[in-house]
Amino acid sequence: MAKKVIALIKLALPAGKANPAPPVGPALGQHGVNIMAFCKEYNARTADKVGLVIPVEISVFEDRSFTFILKTPPASVLIKKAAGIEKGAKEPNKQTVASITRDQLREIAQTKMPDLNANDIDAAMKIVAGTAKNMGVTIND
Amino acid sequence: MSNRWWEIVIFCEPVLEESVFWRLEKFGCSGTATQVKEDGASIKAYIPETAVQLLDLAALSLWLEQDAMLMEVSVPQVQWHLIDEEDWATSWKQDWQPTEIGDRFLIYPAWLEPPERSDRLILRLDPGTAFGTGTHPTTQLCLESLEMRLSQNAKSQTIADIGCGSGILSIGAILLGAKQVYGVDIDPLAVKASRQNCQLNQIEGQSLIVSQGSVEQLIGINDGFDGIVCNILADIIIELFPSMGAIAKPKGWAILSGIILEQAQAIANVVEENGWTVAALWKRQDWCCFNIRRSEY
Repeated sequence: MAKKVIALIKLALPAGKANPAPPVGPALGQHGVNIMAFCKEYNARTADKVGLVIPVEISVFEDRSFTFILKTPPASVLIKKAAGIEKGAKEPNKQTVASITRDQLREIAQTKMPDLNANDIDAAMKIVAGTAKNMGVTIND
Repeated sequence: MSNRWWEIVIFCEPVLEESVFWRLEKFGCSGTATQVKEDGASIKAYIPETAVQLLDLAALSLWLEQDAMLMEVSVPQVQWHLIDEEDWATSWKQDWQPTEIGDRFLIYPAWLEPPERSDRLILRLDPGTAFGTGTHPTTQLCLESLEMRLSQNAKSQTIADIGCGSGILSIGAILLGAKQVYGVDIDPLAVKASRQNCQLNQIEGQSLIVSQGSVEQLIGINDGFDGIVCNILADIIIELFPSMGAIAKPKGWAILSGIILEQAQAIANVVEENGWTVAALWKRQDWCCFNIRRSEY
């Protein structure tokens, strides 16, 4: 019989650098997961992506064992990469710091599509565009 | 000194998650934990108490509201409170039970009274925050490999344990009869845990020596080691492997693990390029363990 999942947790962490400090410790400790084992496995699987944030979705089973799958980097990380900037605006929502093209927006939306709460590419583009706008990154047509 | 953290909890529509992550990252939080529930997403992020003031948290809340309004979704609920730093790395231990490994070992948590008699070698352990509890497939594969390697002539074998963590493999080797083990780890907490576990297992004198450092710490000891155990991660093993030849005897053997299956080929290449031969490759779940020896053997 399949083991029962008692928690499904998504963590967004710097690749290759997971450690027991928050958010890993409080998020997994309460479910009795062997945190060091998780860190070791996450770091092993993301060692080639150091410098990126790689979210991970962890299924915790009733016997405290766990499995996880890696997700796509957050939209903000992909937007910054596409726009060639390190940070968003100092006063986001007021200031514009960079721009990306609609094609770049579509590309990011396509990358993120499996992990977004979006039924189609237009809905995914709307979510990514919203994040870009908040960051002070405009979309050029 | 006990540190405290602000736990920031944001309850929002799932479509806001990406934007919230960015806002929190900008605020200085390293990472987020999200649980999606029926009525929305609960996102938690943490920042040290000393890093921000209450006014900063109030400003964050306003920014999050503004972000939501710009995306035309309902405004998130934002709360924050202080939590004490706990030993998160060890809080899971309350669920840890004695575990049989291989044909000979029984790993026993330090806080449980071991049985007076057992037909297995009892290895008592308190890992602290160090790696190595016996529950991980790579630790199990290494202990089983040690059983195989030390099934004959154990008393003549000197062993180096690189990245000794809790000391589980070093202690295992001694329990199997190895003459002497040198353990090294770059993490001072691991060195401390290894030493404490040595005492816990009543290993005294010079049979098990633990120090802080890496392979270079072991160069020039005796005339090299008969065996090397290294259970870290593939990319670190690849980096360290060329210098392992400097601490191995001409007929030396090694056990390498901490390697996920897809990294096995890269390890095999490094092993062969450096004049070693893969004698056996064991796998468990997604992990593997190399048993190797020097090619001239």
